[in-house]
Amino acid sequence: MVVLRAKAMDPSRTDLSQVDDALVLRAQNGDHDAFGELVNRHQRRVWMVCRQYVGLGEADAAAQDSLVKAFTRIGDFDRRAAFSTWLTRIAINTCLDELRRRRREAVVDEEPDGNDELNLLDRVPDDDAGPESRIMQKQAVAFLASHERTLPPRQREIFRLRFYAEMELEEIATALDVHVGTVKTQLHRAVHKLRQELGAYR
Amino acid sequence: MKTHLEEHEITTAVAGLELEAAAEEHLGSCVSCRQQVSATRAVIDARLMDLVAEAPDWDRQRQEIMLQLPSRATVRSFRRRPWARPLLAIAAVLVVAIGLGVLWAPTPEADPGVVSDLPVEQILAEVDAMLADDSIPGLELIDQEMDDAIFENGAS
Repeated sequence: MVVLRAKAMDPSRTDLSQVDDALVLRAQNGDHDAFGELVNRHQRRVWMVCRQYVGLGEADAAAQDSLVKAFTRIGDFDRRAAFSTWLTRIAINTCLDELRRRRREAVVDEEPDGNDELNLLDRVPDDDAGPESRIMQKQAVAFLASHERTLPPRQREIFRLRFYAEMELEEIATALDVHVGTVKTQLHRAVHKLRQELGAYR
Repeated sequence: MKTHLEEHEITTAVAGLELEAAAEEHLGSCVSCRQQVSATRAVIDARLMDLVAEAPDWDRQRQEIMLQLPSRATVRSFRRRPWARPLLAIAAVLVVAIGLGVLWAPTPEADPGVVSDLPVEQILAEVDAMLADDSIPGLELIDQEMDDAIFENGAS
């Protein structure tokens, strides 16, 4: 029997949050420099989240949009959640809005159906396999990149937030508004499936 | 002594989820199982490195963001405060008291320039008496547990 409990990725997270809190307070009083420091600390994750949702071409714009939105709404941030989690939620919403906009503008043949958010995730652009490689791991990486696409949307989303945006399980749960148990289950299934697909590469 | 980890346990370890103590202990001492975990993690980590290599120039991105910021963040919005509820309750009681006073008070024969000569304490005492009287329709005392539940839901 496997016990699905989270292992902390970063034991200094609490310290990071305390520094964030101090910067947030200053930013809420209009301190641009403090917000600039928050950008420094979180822009990589924001970009990585956006990269997973809207693809490489739009990731930079979406990340910038998310961070500007965060500044304009920072007065609403009540610090009940970590700043990074709140920011990630803004980034995800910004990306979903962008995907909705694309869908409205695109000429599509498919019949729309009910599950809007998950269908949007189906439209997350495929990742390019990258340059041809001669070594086994390069092939495995390309294989992984292509097979992530075959994961169910929610599993793919959680897998990418965990490993590429390097988010804690609890943060993912908060950002996606799902129970942490759901995150663990979906993550386990995603990794299991990818390990099966990787086969000879692992 | 536990034998080699099963596939679902390897998966658990790769995902960064917590293993049972026996499995964790085995993983710490078994090169073969550890290699299985690290091989998959290496592929995922390499994929992450590929993604990182695509990242924009962070300084440039930061500068562009700072140029887009409005001169001042939004004013802090109203947030629920612990003292807000009692104040709202008092305000509600006063509104009810004034309303009932208008409806039920005898027509004043006093100087029309005087709006009311009832002190606030007297109004509140009358309202308390009315609230204590369950026979008045619509003013039955709410069950305390239900009241608490409503507040908890409202506060969440």
